[in-house]
Amino acid sequence: MSIEIKHLTHIYNPGTPFEHKALDDINLKIEDNEFICIIGHTGSGKSTLIQHLNALLVPESGEVLLNGENIYADRSKLKSVRQRVGLVFQYPEHQLFEMTVYKDVAYGPGNLGLPQEEIDSRVKNALETVGLDESVYDKSPFELSGGQRRRAAIAGVLAMEPEVLILDEPTAGLDPKGRDEILDSIKLMHEKRKIIVILVSHSMEDVAKLADRIIVLNDGKVALTGTPREVFSKVNELEKIGLAAPQITYVLSELAAKGYDVRTDIYTVAEATEELYKFLKQVK
Amino acid sequence: MYNTFRRYNIRKKMVIQMKIVRAENVSYEYTKVVEIQGENVERKLMALDNINIDIEEGSFIAVLGHNGSGKSTFAKHINALITPSSGTVWVDGYDTKDDEQVWNIRQSAGMVFQNPDNQLVATIVEEDIAFGPENLGVEPAEIRKRVDSALHMVGMDGYQKNEPSKLSGGQKQRIAIAGILAMQPKCIVFDEPTAMLDPAGRKDVMETAHRLNKENGITIILITHYMDEAATADKVYVIDDGKIVLSGVPKEVFSQVDKMKGFGLDVPQVTETAYNLRKLGIDIPKDILTVDEMVGAICRLKSNI
Amino acid sequence: MITDITIGQYFPSDSPLHRLDARVKLVITLLYIVSLFLIKSFIGYAFVIIALAIVIKVSKVPFKFMVKGLKSLVFIIIFTALINVFTVKGGETLVTFWKLSITTEGVFFAIKMALRIILLIIGSSLLTLTTTPIKLTDGIEALLKPLSKIGVPAHDIAMMMTIALRFIPTLLDETDKIIKAQQARGADFDTGRLRDKARALVPILVPLFISAFRRADELAMAMESRCYNGGANRTRMNVMKVTSIDYTAIILFVVYCAVIIAMRIIL
Repeated sequence: MSIEIKHLTHIYNPGTPFEHKALDDINLKIEDNEFICIIGHTGSGKSTLIQHLNALLVPESGEVLLNGENIYADRSKLKSVRQRVGLVFQYPEHQLFEMTVYKDVAYGPGNLGLPQEEIDSRVKNALETVGLDESVYDKSPFELSGGQRRRAAIAGVLAMEPEVLILDEPTAGLDPKGRDEILDSIKLMHEKRKIIVILVSHSMEDVAKLADRIIVLNDGKVALTGTPREVFSKVNELEKIGLAAPQITYVLSELAAKGYDVRTDIYTVAEATEELYKFLKQVK
Repeated sequence: MYNTFRRYNIRKKMVIQMKIVRAENVSYEYTKVVEIQGENVERKLMALDNINIDIEEGSFIAVLGHNGSGKSTFAKHINALITPSSGTVWVDGYDTKDDEQVWNIRQSAGMVFQNPDNQLVATIVEEDIAFGPENLGVEPAEIRKRVDSALHMVGMDGYQKNEPSKLSGGQKQRIAIAGILAMQPKCIVFDEPTAMLDPAGRKDVMETAHRLNKENGITIILITHYMDEAATADKVYVIDDGKIVLSGVPKEVFSQVDKMKGFGLDVPQVTETAYNLRKLGIDIPKDILTVDEMVGAICRLKSNI
Repeated sequence: MITDITIGQYFPSDSPLHRLDARVKLVITLLYIVSLFLIKSFIGYAFVIIALAIVIKVSKVPFKFMVKGLKSLVFIIIFTALINVFTVKGGETLVTFWKLSITTEGVFFAIKMALRIILLIIGSSLLTLTTTPIKLTDGIEALLKPLSKIGVPAHDIAMMMTIALRFIPTLLDETDKIIKAQQARGADFDTGRLRDKARALVPILVPLFISAFRRADELAMAMESRCYNGGANRTRMNVMKVTSIDYTAIILFVVYCAVIIAMRIIL
């Protein structure tokens, strides 16, 4: 599975006083099984971009290609696109509506017209992947805790068995423990199912832990792209856009600025501990 | 100009020097229906368990805890939205259990909630800010002054006629804060005010909170799970399972990295790194919270070698 | 987009109409609507049209906004006109086909009825275009207040209206998000029989209702913590005052009514 975005431009309310160019000539290629993180300000175009990937929005110009095929080529196939590209919105627990967790997760595969056994197996699989066990199947979604409800909502999209999973700020509003649980589930799912995962986030520390590649959006354009190491070491450029690198990266970059011989491409606590230990133990 | 209007009710107020908020042996019980071995049983659970907190007027306090720790329950006690099952909460000298004082308490201690949208009542900003003073029966001309002054204090002059639904999350929260300021409180409780905001909004709200504390002397009680917000407080309380498990200045609290993680909370990356280095035998101070402190400490260590 | 639908959109401006007291405007609008049912002759309608045109000019609101409200009711207007054309008999017969015939009286009556609807809508639109929702609800509350003596909860009604108006854009936004989320799970709102389409609405309505209840709960708490205690002893920042401009409007309206009644008697 690969995704290619060519010259994608999106304009909201064209021809009115409220006209706004949300995406400006975006060009991106995403390869099979990659874990991509998209970062950028509110208003940088992140939400608009991901809604193009599953054909919820239609571009002003440009194309989105799934495995080389333009997703808009055949209007009748839109439902199939939305099955192959799963999109989990912010606060996905707000979409829960069924009487039991099981039935709600079954809603998606049910819409695909699958036979009951297939639906059952998908529901069980999805709930297991997000770490919810059988004890919650028959409970009302509203009896679960906030973090559990969110995972149930994500399971609802996973049950569609998409080839691409996009998550818009999956940790929004969660406390550190809830955040860790969700991100661990997502990481596990990425390893198990070997699908493309695209995560939109504000948190540099979260992104640093998970991404194979980071895409930085600013003002509707791609400002930076590369591995976390590449992107976070460009501290000045990030600051110009109004974003920040993980806190620990600044420590290393300031030490380097003072003339010390330390790596500046570090962004996790574990690596920083190692590097600083080595640095302090060196005899000059 | 911020005018503090003190109400003295000598019969009801305690003679000793009062803290603006005082919680003494406060517990809060609630019943929940739980399923045990297939049967529905009523269980008594403690959201708060023997809490004792004293808050000095003019200070900036943070209450940290994971979701479900009881921190929001505590916040609602300060505003008399809930009263303790046992123990007492005094706000500005008034007992929150005293029904006759509820309005005084809610005027002294205002509350800003987590969801920016679900606090705004009116279709126009100035009408929403006027809501509080209108409820207090303040004179129209005085309300007008307070509305304009409150908007100025949150840095949103000129937004009087705007529609709340068209504002950003951070702006909505600042309007909510202005709505509380118009009631001229001595203390504002912020119940996870930035949980639903983006980084820009979080920054705006926190800057506003600090400014109100430093320039206007308003006591701020910040309920949060973000350690970078708590790191800027005068004093931090950590709640877990309804009990206060840690308290002290941020440096003291955050340096106890293992305990913090055990309570489901984060510490700043620099704090954790310093903690790890100490474990490896490096004699680096354990109470490092900021990048500057870390860089300074590393440099000092390097030059001493 | 759904959020483009607005009810009684307010058009900000500084015309004499905008500055009138809301209570005066409400009463005048009500009486104006009543007056429309007193007119019988074409001269009467002509008079109303001229009067309305003058008021529209004074309001400084572009005419196209008035017409907006008419757009969605075009069908009803035409339908009413057609019914009247074919059922009202009198005068000369103009056209006959099959069993149906169109008479001059029919045509005249149809035109008058259509005019009545159009004038009613434009007149009401003038009210909502020149009065902010807040002022409208304040006005309604004030007019209902005397009824509170017989148990009508004037303040509560007004507060409910204010909150509803405040949350309409928010709830519309949320509906949009829920629709998109369910579409991302393969929901189809376009195909199938009416029964299928109705059932397809459940995944939208249930989350929406739950969300609305949650909002109401949180809002109630926020209102309580701001010392809300119903209408008792509440003051208002924006006080309604009847000024000279209102007296002028009242006098002019009385003259208008006099003319209408006179025409009814004479013509």
